[in-house]
Amino acid sequence: MRSLPMIVEDLVLPVRATVQTPARPSVRLHVWGDRACFTRPEMKVERVSYDVMTPSAARGILESIHWKPAITWHVDRIHVLKPIRFQSLRRNEVGAKASTALAAGGMKRCTTDGLGIAVEENRQQRAGLLLVDVAYVIEAHFSMTHKAGPEESQAKHLAMFKRRAEHGQCFHRPCLGTREFAAEFALVPDGADLPPCALEKDKREADLGWMLHDIDFAKGNQPHFFRAMMHGGVIDVPPFPPLEAMR
Amino acid sequence: MTVLQALERHYHRLDERGEVSPQGWGLQKFGWCVVLSRSGVPVEVQDLREHQGRAPKLQSYAVPAAVTRTNGIAPNMLWDKTAYTLGRTAGKGRRVAQEHAAFVCAHLAQLAEHDDEGLVALRCFVEGWNPEHFDRAPFRQEMLDANVMFRLEGDVGFLHERAAARALVDAARIAVDEQSIARGQCLVAGREAQLARLHPLIKGVEGGQASGAALVSFNLDAFTSLGKEQGANAPTSQRAALRYGAALNHLLRRDGPNRLRRPVGDATVVFWAQSAEARVAAAAERLMAHWLGEDKLVDPAQAANLRRQMAQVATGCDLAELYPGIAPGTQVHVLGLSPNAARISVRFWMSGSLEAFARRLARHHQDWRIEPLPANWDDAPSINRLLANATAFQGDDRNVSPLLAGEVMRSVLSGTRYPQILLSSALMRLRAGDNAGDGWYAAAIRAVLVRMRRHDPEVAEPAEMPVGLDTERAVPGYLLGRLFAVYERAQRAARGRVSITIRDTYFASASATPASVFPVLVRGGQNHLATIRQYRPSFAGLIMRELEEIHGKLGPLLPRWLGLVQQGEFAIGYYHQRARKLGDETGKIFVSDDDAEKTQAAPYFDAGCER
Repeated sequence: MRSLPMIVEDLVLPVRATVQTPARPSVRLHVWGDRACFTRPEMKVERVSYDVMTPSAARGILESIHWKPAITWHVDRIHVLKPIRFQSLRRNEVGAKASTALAAGGMKRCTTDGLGIAVEENRQQRAGLLLVDVAYVIEAHFSMTHKAGPEESQAKHLAMFKRRAEHGQCFHRPCLGTREFAAEFALVPDGADLPPCALEKDKREADLGWMLHDIDFAKGNQPHFFRAMMHGGVIDVPPFPPLEAMR
Repeated sequence: MTVLQALERHYHRLDERGEVSPQGWGLQKFGWCVVLSRSGVPVEVQDLREHQGRAPKLQSYAVPAAVTRTNGIAPNMLWDKTAYTLGRTAGKGRRVAQEHAAFVCAHLAQLAEHDDEGLVALRCFVEGWNPEHFDRAPFRQEMLDANVMFRLEGDVGFLHERAAARALVDAARIAVDEQSIARGQCLVAGREAQLARLHPLIKGVEGGQASGAALVSFNLDAFTSLGKEQGANAPTSQRAALRYGAALNHLLRRDGPNRLRRPVGDATVVFWAQSAEARVAAAAERLMAHWLGEDKLVDPAQAANLRRQMAQVATGCDLAELYPGIAPGTQVHVLGLSPNAARISVRFWMSGSLEAFARRLARHHQDWRIEPLPANWDDAPSINRLLANATAFQGDDRNVSPLLAGEVMRSVLSGTRYPQILLSSALMRLRAGDNAGDGWYAAAIRAVLVRMRRHDPEVAEPAEMPVGLDTERAVPGYLLGRLFAVYERAQRAARGRVSITIRDTYFASASATPASVFPVLVRGGQNHLATIRQYRPSFAGLIMRELEEIHGKLGPLLPRWLGLVQQGEFAIGYYHQRARKLGDETGKIFVSDDDAEKTQAAPYFDAGCER
């Protein structure tokens, strides 16, 4: 009888030691594709791609696999797996956008007159400098937003993402920069090794200059840039939105 | 490193060396200067043009920077074309009155409180000027629509060079700075700054608009996003925009050391070296120009020198030994810009060390080569020449596909595989009837095949396709090409000088569908051999020997069709075999009537020729 509390403690302590604190819900996703165009904002018309995937493109891929208003994705790291190669293309596009004002007017009048865009009048030939044969591993985590309901939990969303990524489910096909360059994706399970890096040994350290970090949609679509440095083929992405403004 | 950042960094170097105009000033071409008296009366008109050549040439002067003017009316300060300054133009001049009025207003407003003699003179001139005064002396009709600037009578320098004028211009620039659209993070420097609404125009791109085109512009709806207008789509600080524009315009000056004289395809190529010392940078730039651009080196000794140096670099010789005064680790940037309506697109952009570029260029010259060398090869032909001769209709520079030229340039400078479309373009020319005995095509095809098969495109492998004829090579396309060449030689030997041989009729079909075409050629070949046997039995014997050797390797069944790569082998095999001199065991060379029309080393053997 006297030893009972001690026995209970002996039983309790080991159990407490094995209970872990909940880890940050982070995932690793391997994406690859034939072509990619992470367009530079300054070369948007005659498109020139960044050398590597931007964090905003990575976020877009994650959101196309699983996203709810309850979570926001934060990209932590981007691993570059293949050599950086470019290719130049010229494509015929149009120079006009469909106007929402005209569409609203047409809806009121119940007619589509004047809404069409005739290609012959608006044709624009735009050159593009694209990336060829790309592969990345995106390391990211998500956090819950204020829109999360009482029954939402990190574990639930994490499980949903992992299940969907394993089964290849997505809301819309993830893309590498622009929609015409579809991305293939595969989840990298916890504890598994990353796919091998085929980047040349002497190209794994690089200063990639100022790169688009993401766009702050809450504050007037303000773009933010960060200095992208690649070490050993890995780019560390700072948190977004930046806590202190760039000076 | 991005294009704009590298250009901005280059601007700082140029600024340190004093090679660019300061902020707010730019270079413009002028031919005329109006001399004003102190009371604003135009006294004289000076002709500043250089009259040495056939036509008078305009000179460049540093004046207050030009305002960006596309369709609107915006006068410049202290200078402008005659429509603005004098209210006269040679054309219809529908809005000349408005333009002149704008000029007058702007100057009266700016010059109101100044009491500097020159500025007062200008103000009086502007107040009292009537466009009809242009018809009197001292003005001349040839001045119309030219840029005009002013000078005060008795002054040595121009009006805009006076201290008060400089202060005026700088003050105006600062005022404009504060009026910009917004503040935000600049994507060139990363700091928060006043953002530019419009980016500077770039002049000097071959084929682009003469008034300049923009590298960064968003002039149509479809180019904007998130409802942003103009420069807000790519937030760049005003200072950074002006700097990269100034640097790029400086690099693009005609006949400057940073630019290839002729565009590659449609891309104007500029290159610059990043180095703290001007001397080292200039030496690196000269070297790049020498390797990339020279065609028709006037001095044959120089040409031989270049070839020797390229060969040495390819084998791994140290750059610093070959070219003293060069720092091999100098970072060099190469930018290819091509025009597209009112915009400029980046065709290729590469940065690397001088040494890396040297090795890749040397490797390129080693790979794009065939024995025997075609006539006019000149040891290190430029990419334009290589492409014009191999892929362009009528061998004309203007018919080279711009995309192909850009891709080839990029693969040369980055040491990667040549584009596949080079192979198909060259084969298309051959199929269209171009002379397959001309080595330019074979050289281009060989370059593509060789790099395609390598594990690492920059490292040569021992078993790859040789530069000259290889009798041991058993690739079906190659053997068929050799066979074709031998039958053609038999035909020539039998028929003498003919205007059309089997090459003109059957080359395309023989390379694409050998099984259906070669029986026809073989039949014809037997007839020709019978003819030759009558007059020159030993020559017939030599041809028979070649045929047996090749047929022996080919096997009984010919392929029904050949793919693109095999057709390439066919063209190379044909070229190699064609140039081969047939000799017997004693070493005597036999010559037929047509031999070696276009090869470089083509001695015609008189001795030992049996007829």
